[in-house]
Amino acid sequence: MTDERKPKIRSLSELPRGIAPARDLWPQIAARLNAPDESSRSRTRLRAPRWQWAALAASLVAALAVGVWIGRGQLPLGMPGAGVHPTGPLEFTDASYVSDPRYRQQRAELLRTLDARLASLPPESRAKVKASLATIHQSMRDIEAALGHDPGNALLQELLIDTYQDEMRVLTALQDTGAPGGES
Amino acid sequence: MYPAAENERAEWDAALVQRARGGDVRAFERLYREHIGRVYGLCLRLTRDPSIAEDCAQEAFINAWRGLERFETRSAFGTWVHRIAVNVVLGKRRRPEPALEPLPESGDPIERDFTLDTPVEVDEIEAAVAALPDGARDVLVLSGIYGYSHGETAEMLGVAEGTCKAQLHRARALLRSRLEPEMQR
Repeated sequence: MTDERKPKIRSLSELPRGIAPARDLWPQIAARLNAPDESSRSRTRLRAPRWQWAALAASLVAALAVGVWIGRGQLPLGMPGAGVHPTGPLEFTDASYVSDPRYRQQRAELLRTLDARLASLPPESRAKVKASLATIHQSMRDIEAALGHDPGNALLQELLIDTYQDEMRVLTALQDTGAPGGES
Repeated sequence: MYPAAENERAEWDAALVQRARGGDVRAFERLYREHIGRVYGLCLRLTRDPSIAEDCAQEAFINAWRGLERFETRSAFGTWVHRIAVNVVLGKRRRPEPALEPLPESGDPIERDFTLDTPVEVDEIEAAVAALPDGARDVLVLSGIYGYSHGETAEMLGVAEGTCKAQLHRARALLRSRLEPEMQR
């Protein structure tokens, strides 16, 4: 960079392609995203008992697809550290969402009753839930492993939080099905 | 951007698109944060009005959200949302410019970039680009600044490739005539 206040260039391709708008446009965009099409996009909301199983299955398929896709396509599989214990990742991230005591308590409670709720599901749904959770947990491990190599990567941190949210959606949807909450 | 970084960016974008398709607004916000600069920059250069450019950029992202199912993850999200932004800008224009006679096909390639012998201040080039007629400016911005090919530019603008080349030829001549006095300083 020279001392000149106004840079000089010789080619159009040297012009900056990105220009920041004077204000953040996201709040207005977000408000409109959530306006009319929200209901059709929601993948986890269970609106009526007769839709519960279908909605749960759809949400699980979506979570599974996301998990599989991330696991295979985005993260360096087989990296050192990939063998993290399924319930261990909480110790390896400082993301506030994951380390929030309320979140941890709720997650622990849902995991504690998971087996009982799974047992109450029809076999096909149970298999889907288990497959989805396995995929999500694998994704968590992969992301954790990648974060181990690049701890400051904001996108990885965000993906990790999103994956925890995916897990929470599945666990919550499972709880909301009204299955008897037998203790394990 | 280096090719490796570009590939990495495309992979992250594809991951975010996948999540956004499932209704994950946070993932879409991430895409917005990554691409708003280029989308707004394009809109500003095409409209020359910051307020209209903001509207167009907003509209482009809203349309992108609604059309995520149609997005092919093999292509780049940035290019896709650019196409949408161009459509929004063109849709807001009241009258299209009179059509320009397409250039006959010749063996001579028309350079997409525009290079000057003497460096000129960025503001001066931006002002000269902004002063071009709409059709010429559209082509010059898309191909000269954002690096799209003649075919891509023509497709985005909904014109024939020959017309696109003719507009670029015109734009380059106008730009040179406007910048030459600057270059004599």
